[in-house]
Amino acid sequence: MLDAKHGGATVASVRDLKVHFQSKRGVVHAVDGVSFDIRDGETLGLVGETGCGKSVTGRSFLRLLPVPPGILAGGSVMFNAHAVCTSCEGTGCETCEGTGRKASQDRSVNLLGIPSEDMRRIRGDRIAMIFQDPGKALNPTLPVGAQIAEVFLQHRTDELIALAGLPADTVGAVRRFASQSPRFGDGWLLSLPGVRAQRRRVEEALATMVAGALAETQVPNPAKLMARYPHELSGGMRQRVMIAQALACNPDLLIADEPTTALDVTVEARILELIRNLQQRRKTSVLYISHDLSLVRRISDRVAVMYAGRIVEIGTTAEVFANPRHPYTRGLMAAVPGADTPRGKLAAIRGTVPELVDPAAACRFCGRCPYETGACRNNDPFLEAITPSHLVACFIDHPAPSGERPSYDRATA
Amino acid sequence: MTDVPHSRVDAEGMTADTAFRVRMRRLFGVLQGLASNPATVIGLVIIALMLAMAIFAPWILEPNSPDPYQMPRDWGAVRKPPGTPGHLLGTTNEGGDVLYGVIWGSRTSLQLSLMVVGSTMIVGTIIGSVAGLVGGWVDEVLMRIVDVFLSIPELIFALAIAAVLGPSFGNIIFALAVVLWVKYARIMRAQVLQIKQNDYVDAARVIGDSRVNIYLRDILPNAVTPVTVQATLDMGNVVLIGATLSFIGLSEAGIAEWGVLVSEGQAGIASGRWWASTFPGLMIFLWALSFNLVGDGLRDALDPRTEGR
Amino acid sequence: MQLRDYILRRLMVLPVLIIGVSIVVFTLTRVGGSPIGIYLSHEMTPDEVAEIEARFNLDKPVWVQYLYWIRGIAMGDFGWSGVAAAPVADVFPLKLAATMELALASGLVALLLGIALGTYAGARRNRLPDHVTRIVAVSGASLPQFWFGILLLIIFWAQIGIAPIGRSDATIFASIAHPTGLYTVDAILAGSPAAFWDAIWHLVLPSVTLGYGATAIIARMMRSALVEELQQDYVDAARAKGLAERIVLKRHARRNALVPTVTVIGLTFGFLLQGTITVEIIFRWPGLGRWMADSVLRGDQATLMTYVLFTSVLFLVVNLIVDLVYANLDRRVTLGK
Repeated sequence: MLDAKHGGATVASVRDLKVHFQSKRGVVHAVDGVSFDIRDGETLGLVGETGCGKSVTGRSFLRLLPVPPGILAGGSVMFNAHAVCTSCEGTGCETCEGTGRKASQDRSVNLLGIPSEDMRRIRGDRIAMIFQDPGKALNPTLPVGAQIAEVFLQHRTDELIALAGLPADTVGAVRRFASQSPRFGDGWLLSLPGVRAQRRRVEEALATMVAGALAETQVPNPAKLMARYPHELSGGMRQRVMIAQALACNPDLLIADEPTTALDVTVEARILELIRNLQQRRKTSVLYISHDLSLVRRISDRVAVMYAGRIVEIGTTAEVFANPRHPYTRGLMAAVPGADTPRGKLAAIRGTVPELVDPAAACRFCGRCPYETGACRNNDPFLEAITPSHLVACFIDHPAPSGERPSYDRATA
Repeated sequence: MTDVPHSRVDAEGMTADTAFRVRMRRLFGVLQGLASNPATVIGLVIIALMLAMAIFAPWILEPNSPDPYQMPRDWGAVRKPPGTPGHLLGTTNEGGDVLYGVIWGSRTSLQLSLMVVGSTMIVGTIIGSVAGLVGGWVDEVLMRIVDVFLSIPELIFALAIAAVLGPSFGNIIFALAVVLWVKYARIMRAQVLQIKQNDYVDAARVIGDSRVNIYLRDILPNAVTPVTVQATLDMGNVVLIGATLSFIGLSEAGIAEWGVLVSEGQAGIASGRWWASTFPGLMIFLWALSFNLVGDGLRDALDPRTEGR
Repeated sequence: MQLRDYILRRLMVLPVLIIGVSIVVFTLTRVGGSPIGIYLSHEMTPDEVAEIEARFNLDKPVWVQYLYWIRGIAMGDFGWSGVAAAPVADVFPLKLAATMELALASGLVALLLGIALGTYAGARRNRLPDHVTRIVAVSGASLPQFWFGILLLIIFWAQIGIAPIGRSDATIFASIAHPTGLYTVDAILAGSPAAFWDAIWHLVLPSVTLGYGATAIIARMMRSALVEELQQDYVDAARAKGLAERIVLKRHARRNALVPTVTVIGLTFGFLLQGTITVEIIFRWPGLGRWMADSVLRGDQATLMTYVLFTSVLFLVVNLIVDLVYANLDRRVTLGK
C-alpha cells in the first residue's frame, strides 16, 4: 500500500488508473497510471496545471467521462462506503469522532467495475460532486429547489414517505412520485382527490428537506430561495446551492472540482470556509481539485501534485510545502507569489504541458526540467517514499537504474 | 470565434502572396471537409449528373422545333406507358414525351435557378452592403423594407406577383427575384456590421486605406462564406418554389418544365397512369435534395464549430 | 433590456410592418391591370367607364385611392370574388375553417412527431436512428409537396383504393350541422362517431403530405438543440446526482432543448400555410389555398389580395407570439441587439 499504512481507514483507493481519449492524432493518455488513497475524513488536494488530468481523475470516481471518446483503460477505484461504527454502534465515540459512522472495508466496491445501476445509487448519495462553474452546472429551466429535491427523490424515498406521515408500505403512484420514476398516466392518477392529498404531503415533506439542506449552507431565507431560478442568483449563491445539493445526502466522499475558480476572490474565501466547516462537522472526505497552490495549502490535509497524467509528488501538506522534492512542485511553488518572494523574482516554468499522445518511457517533465539528465530521458520514474508519508517520482531522491542521478546543485539546462 | 483570414496590417506584415497562400490553404481545407462527408459527395454527384443532362440535352434528345422548350406532341402515341419504343418513360394525355420533359426540364430549371440566384445575390449584396456601410437613416429605411418583404410568406408573395403579371415562365423568374433578394441583403448587412467592428479593419483605416479598398479587400472576401452557403441552398429552393408555381398554373401550358409536367400528369392518375407525374416530380426532388445536401455540407465545412453535429 | 420594453417595442413595430405589407399589396393591385376590370365590358361607352372609375375613386391621386382601399378593408369590404360569386368577406371564414383544420392537424402531429424524432435521434447521436432522422430532415426540406401528395394518391387512392379524396362523404356531411366549420369538432359536437371517423379519414393523407416537411423542420432543430444541450455541464451534474438516464434526458436536456426549438414554430407555420395551396389542389380540399389557386388562374384579384394580406398578418402575429414566448422561456436570452 502506498500510504494507507500511515494510520486511519481509507474511504477510497485509486490504483493505476488510466483514462485515454481517442483523438485524430492518436490515443491521448490523459490519466496514465495514477494511484493514491483518500483517508477517512481528510481533505486531499489535487493540484496541477490545466490539462494535466486532475479533473478527469476526479470524474472517474463517478464514471462521468464522455464515452466515447473517453475510455477507462485500466486500473481500479476502490470505494469503502461508510457503515455504522463498530465500536459504538452509531451512538458516537472517539474512533468515529462522534458521527457514529466510519469507513468500512467489508463493503468495498470497485467503482469502475460495478453495474451502472449500482453506480447510479452511489452518485449523489455516497459520492457527490461540486462543479467548477455553478452557472453552468445548474439547469437554467428549473427552480433551484426542484433541483435539490431530485437528490432526495432519488436516494431518500423512504425517509420522505415517513416524513410525510404516510405508511412505509405506500406503493403505486405516490411512491413512484416520491422516487421520481413516473409512469405513463401517473399525472392523472396523482390528480385523483385522495391521492392528491398524499402527493401534497410528500411535496411538503420534500420542501422541508430541501429547506434544511439549503439552511446548512447559511443562505438567508432558504424557503424563498427554493423558488428562484439559477439566473436570478449571484455566483456565490449558486455555488451554495450546488454545495447544498452535493451534501444533501451526507456523502462519504465529496469531489470538489475547482469550486471557486469561477467566483470572485471575496466570495471564494467564504465558499472555502463553508466547505471546510461542513466537511469538519460531518467528517466527509474531500478530494479538492485545484490549480491554485496557496488555496490547496489552506484547505488540504494532504496534497497530491499531478503532472501530465501522473502523480509526481504526494504527502502531507506540511511536508510537501516545507520540503518539495520534485522539480515540478518546486517550479509550481516558485511561480506562486509569497510574502517572502523578492520583487521581480517570480519564476515561471518554461514550456508547456507535453501532448500526451503515445508517451515514451521517460520522465514526463523532461524538456521542462532544469535538472534533467540522460537517465531521465531513458527511464520512467515512479513514486517512492522518502518519508513514510511523502512520496516522490523523481531520480533526485531515488537513483535511476543506471545509478545516474540529477541534483539540485547543478542545473543542466 | 472571429475568423481572421489574411490581413496586410498583421505585425509580420503579410505580403499579398502569403495572403493568397493562406486563402488557398483554407479553400483546400474546405474541399477536404466536403469530400469527407458522404452525404455531400452524393449531392455533388447528383448535381454533376443534372448539369451534364442540361448541357448535353440537345445531343441526348433532338430538340423540338421551332421552340425546344415546348413539349413535342406525338398525337399518335397518347397515354403510352413507360417502355414504349421511342417514349422510354411513356407519354402524357396530350402525347408529350415524358423523357423529353425530364431532360429538357433540367435546362429550364438550370435557367431558372441561375437567373434567380444570380440576380438576387447581386441585388441583395449591394443593398445589404450599402445599408451596412452607410448606416443611419439609409440603413433604417432599407431594413424596414426588408422586414416588410420577409413578413409575406415566400411562396404566397411570389404567387401574387406572378399572378398579377400573368402566366409565363419569365414572370415566375421575375417574381422569385423580387421576393428572394432580401435574404442576401440581410446576410450581407450583418456581415458588414460584424466585420466593421473587427480590429483589423480599424487598423486598415488608421493606416489610411480608402473605404472602397477596405470593403473590397477586407469585408467582401469574408462575407463570401455565408452568401455562398445561402446561394447553394437557394439553387435548390428556387427550383422547388418555381415548380410549385408552375404546378399551380402560372407557366405557359406545354412548356418543358417539371412542375407543369407533374400537373399535366395529375389528370391521369385516376386511370392508373402514374408515370407522367412521377418522373418529373422525382427530378424536382433530386434537384432540391442535392443542393440542400451540398449546402449543408458546405456550411459544416466552412464553420468549424458545427463539426460532427 | 427588460422583457416589458422588448414586448412594447415589438408591439409598436407590428403596425408599421402591417402598413408596409398593405402598401405592397396595394401596389400589386395597381400593377396588374385595372382593379375594376371585372365590372367593365366592351359595350360600355367611355363615359360609363369614367363613371364607374369615379365611383371607385380611381380619378383621385394614388395615395387617396390607397386610403379609400384601407378604409374599405377596415370596414370589412374586401371586394367581390368572381370565383365564389359572392363578397370575399362572406366566403372567407368558411374556407379559412377548412384550411385551418388541415394546417392545425398537420402542425400538431408534426410538432409531437418532430420533437419525439429529434429527441430520439439527438440522444443516439451518430447511430442508426440519428442517420434515419437526418435523412427524413433533409428529404423533408427538398420534397415537392405537390408531387409527394400525388404519389400518395397514386398508391392509396388510385391503386389500393382505400384513401378518400375531398373533405367528407356527401351523405355524412348532410347528416350533421357544421357550426364551427371544423368537421372533426362539428362531429364531436353532434356526437356522431361516423362523422368524426369520416372527417379524420379524409384528413389523413393531406395531413401526412403537409406534415412531413414540417416534421422534418422541427426534428432537425430539436436534434441539434438536444445534441448541444447534452454537452452542457448541468447534464453531467444531473448524472452526478444519481438520476436515471431517462430523467436526465427528459427533465433536463430535453426541457432545455425545447427552448430553441420554439423558434422554428413560426417558420413551420409559414411552411404549413404555403403548403396548403398545393395540398388543397391535389386532395380537392375546399379551403383557402384552392380558392386562391382558382382565383389566380381566373384573375380574381380581390380574393388574391385579401389572401396575401390575411396570411401575412397571420404570419406576423404568429411570429410575434413565438418570439415573445421564446423571450419569456429563455431567460438567458439577451434581448434586443
